[in-house]
Amino acid sequence: MHENRRWVILGFFTSIALIFLVKLFFIQVLSAEYQNAAEDISVKKIVVYPHRGIIYDRNGKLLITNAPVYDLMVIPNKVNVKNIPEFCDFLGITPQEYKQNLERAIKQSKTQPSPFIKQLSKEEYAHIQDKISDYPGFFAVSRTLRGYPHQSLAHVLGYIGEISPEMLKEDKTAYYRQGDYVGISGIEASYEKELRGIRGVTHLWVDAKGKEKGKYKDGLLDTTSTAGQNLITTIDLDLQQYGEKLMQDKAGAVVAIEPSTGEILAMISAPTYDPNLLAAREFSKNYSPLANNENKPLFNRAIKALYPPGSTLKTVHALIGLQEGFITPETVFPCDKSLVKCHWHPVGNVHNSLQHSCNPYYFKVYRRIIYQNKMVLKDSVYTLSADGDGKKGFAIWQDYLSRFNLGRKTNIDLVHELNGNVPSFAFYNKRFGEGQWKFSNIYSLGIGQGEIGVLPLQLANVTATIANRGFYYTPHLVKSIGDKKLIRAEYNKKHSVGIDKQHFETIIGGMNDAYRMGTVAPTAIIDGLEICGKTGTAQNPRGEDHSVFIAFSPRENPKICIAVYVENAGFGGTIAAPIATLMIEKYLKGKVSKEWAEKIILDTKIIKVK
Amino acid sequence: MAENTLQPTQEEFTSAQTESPWYARFETYFKGDPYIWLVIFGLATFSILGVYSATGTLSFKAFSEGREADNYLFKHLITIFTALGAVWVAHRLDYRYYARLSRLALLVAVPLLLFTWLFGVSVNEANRWITIPLIGRTFQPSDFAKLALISNVASMLSKRQGKVEDFENTILPILIWIGLICGLIGLANISNSILLFVTCFLLMFIGRIPTKQLAMLFAVGVIAIGMAMLLGQRFGTAQSRMTQFFGNEAVFQAEQANIAISTGGFMGKGPGNSDQRNFLPNPFSDFIYAIIVEEYGAVGGILLLCLYLTLLYRGVMVVAGSHQAFGGILSAGLTFSLVLQAFLNMGVAVGILPITGVPLPMVSMGGTSLLFTGLAFGIILSVSRGEIAQDATPQTAPISENNNQNVLNTNQGNELKNP
Repeated sequence: MHENRRWVILGFFTSIALIFLVKLFFIQVLSAEYQNAAEDISVKKIVVYPHRGIIYDRNGKLLITNAPVYDLMVIPNKVNVKNIPEFCDFLGITPQEYKQNLERAIKQSKTQPSPFIKQLSKEEYAHIQDKISDYPGFFAVSRTLRGYPHQSLAHVLGYIGEISPEMLKEDKTAYYRQGDYVGISGIEASYEKELRGIRGVTHLWVDAKGKEKGKYKDGLLDTTSTAGQNLITTIDLDLQQYGEKLMQDKAGAVVAIEPSTGEILAMISAPTYDPNLLAAREFSKNYSPLANNENKPLFNRAIKALYPPGSTLKTVHALIGLQEGFITPETVFPCDKSLVKCHWHPVGNVHNSLQHSCNPYYFKVYRRIIYQNKMVLKDSVYTLSADGDGKKGFAIWQDYLSRFNLGRKTNIDLVHELNGNVPSFAFYNKRFGEGQWKFSNIYSLGIGQGEIGVLPLQLANVTATIANRGFYYTPHLVKSIGDKKLIRAEYNKKHSVGIDKQHFETIIGGMNDAYRMGTVAPTAIIDGLEICGKTGTAQNPRGEDHSVFIAFSPRENPKICIAVYVENAGFGGTIAAPIATLMIEKYLKGKVSKEWAEKIILDTKIIKVK
Repeated sequence: MAENTLQPTQEEFTSAQTESPWYARFETYFKGDPYIWLVIFGLATFSILGVYSATGTLSFKAFSEGREADNYLFKHLITIFTALGAVWVAHRLDYRYYARLSRLALLVAVPLLLFTWLFGVSVNEANRWITIPLIGRTFQPSDFAKLALISNVASMLSKRQGKVEDFENTILPILIWIGLICGLIGLANISNSILLFVTCFLLMFIGRIPTKQLAMLFAVGVIAIGMAMLLGQRFGTAQSRMTQFFGNEAVFQAEQANIAISTGGFMGKGPGNSDQRNFLPNPFSDFIYAIIVEEYGAVGGILLLCLYLTLLYRGVMVVAGSHQAFGGILSAGLTFSLVLQAFLNMGVAVGILPITGVPLPMVSMGGTSLLFTGLAFGIILSVSRGEIAQDATPQTAPISENNNQNVLNTNQGNELKNP
C-alpha cells in the first residue's frame, strides 16, 4: 500500500498540471473576454495644475491670494448615469441643470473634457470626492481662484478667465487646453508665462470599468507640475490706496514713478472697481454691468486714455528751444494776448514763463522750433537766423517728442497699451492739402492743445525724465520675478533724451516757483516739501477742461514723480495739483498733514457714481 | 554537451552502463540522473529568455530616467551560472553528508528566522531579508530553513522506519520541528510557510506515516500557520488576497496575467514582444510564467510545465529505486518543494490560485533564492548519483512494507543513527 503512495502523489501532481492546461486552454481559446480587456486597457492622463504665482507690492504686502477650488469636468461620450435624479441629488443640482450643463459640454466636445460644474469649494469637493469615481466620464480637477485682499489695484493686476477659442487658436506653443484659465488683462496677462507655472501630467491606467489601477509604467512618463513664479511689483500699496481714495468720484488717472529706476509706485485709473468682482466665479455675473457702465470703470485710463497734455508740454518745448539754441534762459517774450489768450501775470524769461504758464511765450517758442530761428551771438548781440524749412523744423520737434517717449508705446509691462498721438507733417498735409496750411493752423500744439494726445503714463515718464535731468528708465510694474529675483532686461536700460543737464536746471527752477508762487493753488502747497511742478488745464471737446498736474520731489535726488489727470475738473492748479502733492507727502512722509486740503479733494464729486 | 563520438573512460562506462551511450561523456562531469540535468538546463534557458523579456521595462525605466541602464540580463546570467555552479558542487558531495548537516542547519535556522522577523530588511512590508555581514548581500533565511527542515525530516523519517507508528518517539519530534519552522517562516511569509508544510506533509505521507497521524500533522500545521498569521505581519495581506480571490471583483494582477496568457496565443508573440510586462507587477519574478506564455505561447508554457513534471517523476522515482530510505525521502522532499512552488507560481499566473509572490524555481530572477534552488537540485542529483553508483553492488533491500527491519539494519542506516 505504501508503494502506492508514490503513485498517489504523482497522480495528484499530474491532475494539477492537467487543471493548469485546461485553464490555459480556457483562457486562450474559449474566453474572448481577456482579448477585449487587453484593448480596453487605457491610459488616462490627469493634468495636475500648478499653483499660480502670487503677487506682492514693493514692501512685501500680499496683493493676490490663491484659494483652491475644483472644477467638475465631464467627457460626454463616457457618461453613463443610470439614475439621474440620484446623481443630481448627490451633486446638489436640479435635473434641468444637469441637462443644460451636459448639453453645453457636448457643444464644446464630446470626447474632450469640459467643465460641468465650475469652482466647487473645498467643502463641496470633499463631499463628492469619494463617490464621483463611480460615475464614468466625470472627474474633478483642482484650480486656483484668485482673491484680492485689498480690493484695490484692479487695472494693474487684471484678471484671469477661461481661455477663449480665439486665444486657443493663437496659442502657437500648444500649451493651453480648453477650459484652462489664463490672464486676460493687467499683470495677470503680461506675466502669464511666469505666473502660470508648468502643468504636470500623471498617467494612470484604467481598466475596462474605468477604475484607476495605479500608475502607468510606474510613473515613467509623468511630469511634475512646477508652481508659478511669484512676482514682486513696484507698487506701493499704501500710496496706491490713498490715490484711489483721492480719485473717488472723479474720472482720470494718476501715475507715480520712482525716477531713478522707472518703477511705478502707483497707477490709478478712476473710476475703478473691486477686483474681486471679476474673480472667476463671479465673473459672468459682474462683467456686463461693469462693461456697460458709462463711466467705463474697466477702461485703464493710465495706458489707454489719450488726453491733450495742455501746459505741461511747455516744459518739453522750453527744453527743445534751449537745447537747439532757439532761445536762451534769459529770452523774454511779452505776454501778447493777441497771439493766444492768456491770464494776467508778470512777464519774464523761461523761468517766469513756466512759473506763470504764459501761453504767448510758448506760441513764440514753438514758432522758433518749427522755423528753426536760432539765436546767433554776433558782437555781443543776439540776432535771429532767418526762417528755415518748416517741414524740417516739424521733424525736429517730432523727434524730440519721440525721445521723451511721446507718440509711441512706453513698453510698460501691461498689455493693450496705446501709442498716444503726436501728429506728423504728413497728417496735416492730408488734412489741409499739401502747401495749404501754415503755422497758424498748428500753433496750439505749442501749448499742448490740438491734435496731440498723450497717455497719463507718458506724461509721468516725461516728468521722470525732467526729474532725472535728461534720462529715464522704461516705466514698469514688476521689479522681481520668482526666486531668482529677475527683472526683464529692457527695464534696466537707461534712455537718454540728448538734452544738456543745465537746461533741465533752468526749467526745474521755473517748475519749483510754479509750485511755490505760481499757478499752483494754495490748497496744494505743503510745508516742508520741495516740490517742482507744472500745471495744465487741457481744453477738450467733452465739456469742462481737464485738470492736469505733473510734479516731482524733492528737487535734488527726486524720489517720486507724478502725473495727475482729472477729467473735466477745471484748472490744473486747483484739483490735480493738490492730489499730486497730497500723494507726494503720503509717500515721502508716510502721513498727510493738510487734512483740510484732503477733505476738499474728497468732497469734489465730478462724476455721478453708479 | 556530450558527444556520442567520444569514448567514455572505463570507470565512467561501468557506472553509466545502464544509460544510453551518448550520456557517457556527459557523465564524466555531470553525474546523476541525466533527465534531471536536462530539466535544469531547460529551466535555465527559460529563465534567461524570460528575464530578458521581462526586464525590458526596468532597463527602459533606467534609461529614460537618465540613469545608466543596469544590465539586468548580464546580472541575471551571472546569477544563473552561479546557481548552476551550486548544482554542480552540491551534486558532487555524498548526499549522506547532508543528513549530518541538517540538524545543525536546523539549529542555526531558528535564531536566523527570529532575527529576520525582528530586524530584517522589509520588502513590501514583510521582513524576509537579512544582510549577510562582510558580503553585503541579502538573503531569505526561509530558503535556508526550508532546505534544513526537509533534510532533517527526511533523516528522522528514515531512521525511524521501523517504528513509524510510535507517536512519542517518531512522530512527535518531527511534528515539533515542522510546527516550529513553519510557524517561524509564517511570521513573515505565509505562502512559503504553507508550501513547506504541504511538502512536509507529502514527505510523511511517502515516509509511511499512518493516516491517523497524518491527520494530526495536518491539525498541527493549521494551528501553527494560523498562529503565525495572527502574530505576524502578513495577516492583513493574506486576508485581503483571499477575500479578493473568492470575491467577485477580479484581481487586477490576475486580470493582467490572464490578458498576457490570452494574447500570447498558441505560438506566442515572440521574444521581447510582451506588452503586459508594463502592467504586471514583478514580471521578472512572480508573473514570469505569464510573460513566458505571452511571448512563447502555449507551446512554451506547456514545455515549461513538462519540465517540472519530468523533475517530479524522476525525483520521486529515485525513491522507488532507492535502497536507502534517507536518499529516497530526501530527494522526494526536495522535489515536492520545488514542484509545489512551481505549481503555486503557475497556478497564480493562470488564475487558479490566489495572488502570492513565490518565484518560479530556477526561472525567476533573484539572487539567493536561485542559489538555494540550485542547492536543492544538486542534492537531488547527488541522491540519484548515489543510487546509480550502488546499482552495481546492491547491498540492501528497498523500502518495503513487509521488511522494515531491513532498512533499519543497513550500513547507511546505522551510520545515520544519532550519536
